[in-house]
Amino acid sequence: MEKTRKWRWGTKRWIVLGFIILSVIGVNLIKPVQPHIQVAPETITETLFTLPVIGDFKITNTMVAMLLGDIVIIIIAFLVKRGVNKDTLAPKGIAGAFEMLVDSLYNMTESTAGKYAKKVFPWFATIMIIVLFANLIKLLPGFETIGFLHHAEHGYQVQALDGNWYTVINEKAEGEGYIVTPFARALSTDLNFTAALALIAVLMTQVIGVQAQGFRYFGKFLNFSTMFKKPLLGFMDFIVGLLETISELAKVLSFAFRLFGNMFAGMVLMALVGVMVPIFVPSMIMMFELFIGVIQAFVFGLLTMVFMAQATQGHGAEEEHA
Amino acid sequence: MSGDIVLAAKFIGAGLAMIGAAGAGVGIGLSVQGALEGMARNPDTYGNLFTNMILGIAFSEAIAIYCLVIAFLMLFVL
Repeated sequence: MEKTRKWRWGTKRWIVLGFIILSVIGVNLIKPVQPHIQVAPETITETLFTLPVIGDFKITNTMVAMLLGDIVIIIIAFLVKRGVNKDTLAPKGIAGAFEMLVDSLYNMTESTAGKYAKKVFPWFATIMIIVLFANLIKLLPGFETIGFLHHAEHGYQVQALDGNWYTVINEKAEGEGYIVTPFARALSTDLNFTAALALIAVLMTQVIGVQAQGFRYFGKFLNFSTMFKKPLLGFMDFIVGLLETISELAKVLSFAFRLFGNMFAGMVLMALVGVMVPIFVPSMIMMFELFIGVIQAFVFGLLTMVFMAQATQGHGAEEEHA
Repeated sequence: MSGDIVLAAKFIGAGLAMIGAAGAGVGIGLSVQGALEGMARNPDTYGNLFTNMILGIAFSEAIAIYCLVIAFLMLFVL
């Protein structure tokens, strides 16, 4: 017979209650300020050097987040390597966790891409892991809140803290005030990053398609094969091929804007809710952000994998199955 | 005066742009409904259906995200 657990006052709920009370006190001491929201990432340095065609090179705050994410990924890679090199059959700790992740991803790739799984899998896993870390690292405290002060027309007044640090208080300054330019901002809220990943994914889809089918792959886009045998339907096939070309280009747009839109919406939601209901509700929003970040990383990787798997199968192969 | 009208038009435009999210909501609901019905009838197909369901959700969600990006453009960029 199972022993029924008696309901008791645990300790963890007291910790949560303590944090809620702390946040009430903190919010009353320093009123939250609605941050300045802009789509383009803020630059945090002066022009470092100028390239001839591309233009000025400045470090933006999303680049800082990218460096942080890269460092975390490299550290994890070394830890996993050390864990796998030991002579145990089942690696423990972080190596075991990553073995489980990679194993399940590889099984998923194999069930979709078949014999091309070895070619498709590195792109799938790489894109998914880097987007995952880019999305998760923004949940660290201090992101999007600590930064340089800048003059702005509709700014706020500042109050001196210790040393060279200031806090922005919730009072509109007459004339010129200050706004905060954060040191680090979530990487996926930068359209450059998402567009670059989308271009890589779609370009490599074409490359894998050519590797799998040779130049027959382009027959999908410029379809002349049936044009002279059946004039009317063949012409329809040609139009369908043109539509395929357009949908290939639209993939870049939808990849880039899906990730960017989701993460930027999360940032705006966090900023607005943090001002309107600063107690307890932002934690729920943070949990939702964690969920959205993981789902979006999975979706980006999964779509890349499915498109690549589709590119390896020509029209002829499909007809054989049907 | 003209600045106020432009500001109001921005907000109205951003609100109108988000109407498109209704269609995406219906689409996501329908795809999840179909997948769940399939899973309930035949639980063995769970893995296959789940992957395809996520794909369908991602495609319909993209439409809502386009609306959201347009709304953001109106609010923060223009």
